[in-house]
Amino acid sequence: MGAEHTSVPRWGTERPAPDPSARALLLVGFGARGCAITTAWAADVPAGRAVEVLAADDADEAVLAVLTARIAGARVGWRLMLAGPEADVLAARAVALRAGVLDAEIRCAVTSTERKRVYCPHCRTTTATTAPVAGETPCDGCGRRLHVYAHVSRRAGAYLGFMADAEEVA
Amino acid sequence: MTTALSSRVARFPFPFATDSYRYSTNVEPARRPVTTAAGGWGAGVLDVDDDYAAELAERRAVLAADPTRCQELPHMRVASWDALTTLLPELADTLPGTTSLDRVGDRWTWRNDRLGTARTFTVGDDDSLPEGPLAFLGSQIQDDVVLLDQREGALWADAGLVTFAADWSMGFDVGMRFLEVHGPVPRVHEAGVVQRAEQFLMRLQPGEEYRRTNWTMTVDRRLDTSTETYADWGRDRRLVVDDPALPDRLHLRVEVQHLIRLGVSNAVCFLVRTHVLSLRELATVPEWRQRFAAVLAELPDDMADYKGLTRFRGAAVDWLTSR
Amino acid sequence: MTATLPARTAARTGVLVLAVAAVADDVPGIRTLTLRRSEGGPLPAYPAGSHLVMDCGDRRNAYSLTGDGSPAEEYRVSVLLCPDGDGGSAFVHRLAVGDVVTASRPRSAFAPVSTARHHLLVAGGIGITPMLSHARAAVRWKRSFELLYGHRPGAGAHLDELRDLCGDRLAAYGSTPEMLAAVRAALADRPLGTHVYVCGPAPLIAFVEETAAELGWPAERVHAERFSAADLDPGEPFTARLARSGTRVPVPSGTSLLSALEEAGVAVPNLCRQGVCGECRVPVRSGRPLHRDLYLSEAERAAGDAVMCCVSRSVDDELELDL
Repeated sequence: MGAEHTSVPRWGTERPAPDPSARALLLVGFGARGCAITTAWAADVPAGRAVEVLAADDADEAVLAVLTARIAGARVGWRLMLAGPEADVLAARAVALRAGVLDAEIRCAVTSTERKRVYCPHCRTTTATTAPVAGETPCDGCGRRLHVYAHVSRRAGAYLGFMADAEEVA
Repeated sequence: MTTALSSRVARFPFPFATDSYRYSTNVEPARRPVTTAAGGWGAGVLDVDDDYAAELAERRAVLAADPTRCQELPHMRVASWDALTTLLPELADTLPGTTSLDRVGDRWTWRNDRLGTARTFTVGDDDSLPEGPLAFLGSQIQDDVVLLDQREGALWADAGLVTFAADWSMGFDVGMRFLEVHGPVPRVHEAGVVQRAEQFLMRLQPGEEYRRTNWTMTVDRRLDTSTETYADWGRDRRLVVDDPALPDRLHLRVEVQHLIRLGVSNAVCFLVRTHVLSLRELATVPEWRQRFAAVLAELPDDMADYKGLTRFRGAAVDWLTSR
Repeated sequence: MTATLPARTAARTGVLVLAVAAVADDVPGIRTLTLRRSEGGPLPAYPAGSHLVMDCGDRRNAYSLTGDGSPAEEYRVSVLLCPDGDGGSAFVHRLAVGDVVTASRPRSAFAPVSTARHHLLVAGGIGITPMLSHARAAVRWKRSFELLYGHRPGAGAHLDELRDLCGDRLAAYGSTPEMLAAVRAALADRPLGTHVYVCGPAPLIAFVEETAAELGWPAERVHAERFSAADLDPGEPFTARLARSGTRVPVPSGTSLLSALEEAGVAVPNLCRQGVCGECRVPVRSGRPLHRDLYLSEAERAAGDAVMCCVSRSVDDELELDL
């Protein structure tokens, strides 16, 4: 039972290669390990393709704004490759998917899954955490203890958290 | 009171045909009347009952408190118009005396005396229906609505108006693939149930209508058991166990789900009509009391847990079998 | 299993009885039929690019509907006379006003992708018919599109109405090299978010698919209209032998094994009648099933010891069932 059965992404153990049919590529690396991967990808892209490489510490607003602008100007044949920690890759992928990029046009390499973004449906705040799936984290918005659920929104790039002790009698 | 109660029992879509329950792709063509031990249901797609005005008032209140219950990704506007223009005529046929629909080209005038609604709008003109076609539809029918887009060989839950969710969040799930929406459900993936359901839905042809049922249990007649408000209702699952009023507070909650391929937009319209019946009401039908007790007692732990029944199912079985 | 009772009545057949309301031969060899319900009234809506399967004498042919798909009282199809064809087009070209034909409800297999930012429509010859539907729907719903239309000089069906409808979004070509150059130029430079749709002669479809792939278009953005034989295939006749009773049930071409069993008085649980739900599985003792369902796994198919009788048939002249 694999990735197609759950909303939780299962990153393959093998690093993907650049799509040989791409005519133009944007490679975005997050952190040192992510940027090492984009450097390797850039070397693997066949000659004659337009390649742009972006490097960022994490998926902050600045790099996501650049990504949005590049997508707006892209022509069919363009591909996006993302490398870095899961939280950053999910955030960048969410921006791309919301802008109409297809799954088939995105390839990802995840270097760690420790950090997560957890969405609280009770107060609609997203909290950064290192809690594991099925673990708990306090919500930055409402302070509730959130159970980190095995359910991920591709559009938000976040895990669902719900109140861990809602059924306890105070 | 007696009349209302017996009407609720008579129309209740009791979902169990045997003494055990497992997930299956239990789809069947819509509009087939089903006879139950207490009456029957299912002759039409829309089911307007005595709770019509009250449930729509409840939906308005839920939406006012939390507008994220209504979601529509921008590419779904045609599907929303399609859902409205498919289901308003259906509602007019369902309520012939108290509603009317006049159509002059794309100019539609809808009157609903049950709710005091009178609106004129132009199909496809967003300015003529400022709240949007999906929200307007949701103000006229008791069903929750989810609209599934079909592309890239999959279905996508890209729009929905869901105020009566059984422990899930439309606001979080919007934009997910059909398979992803069902990701947390135990057993169904190994059994291939969700994949088969998606394949089935993707093959629906324009205008085809099917239905299925699903069920869970809810404390009190609370329709809004969404993830968003879990903090408000979660505790009742524990408190009800020792409450002498358990047979009146604990309800079998049945969803009659209709699956309709909309003609113009090619979207699949998923209607979820929620019916709740207390154990005490249910027990007025001896066959239902026995059968539901058997189903609850036999249900595997993982399924009971996912449905949120674990805390009270023992107490429910005890009450159902002690009579 | 759950909930729903086995369905016993036949699934909706969905046959439309249509009268020819008008016939137009604006372009030599291409006949446009206007069809209305014999009894009048609205016809089912359909997504752009849908087709009807029409009974043409002893043939069944699929013809694209050319409207925008909104609910209306008429359908239009345009049919090219193929003197070397199987006779379906000749049948259509013999029809006159007042003649009655039967057809399926609209079937959708070539719908526009709702998330597309731009629709690139490519038509060759009579392949213009589904593209006319796409263009009309795009105008109605304000979608960005362009249409590249290659046709023989003087034989461009619907050219005048396309010019009115599309304005400068239409580019028509009377020579194949010019058309192919225009297609290549478009595929080489369109915004990300564009989807391309092609209908026409097989070499044109192949050119679009190959050029798109070469220029980096993922397959998910490329859509070609081919009529599916699976929709139409009535299957070869065979005999079902019921091992327990020794009864032999003939299954004619065009009749499902399930229907034949029901007509012979053999009750088989079933729900969807489309090879999806798994309800109508019947054990096989001998003979090789011709699996056409979506339910059985590859391993189950290979085992050959069960058949989903609503859609599947028999490779051999006789199939022995454990009934």
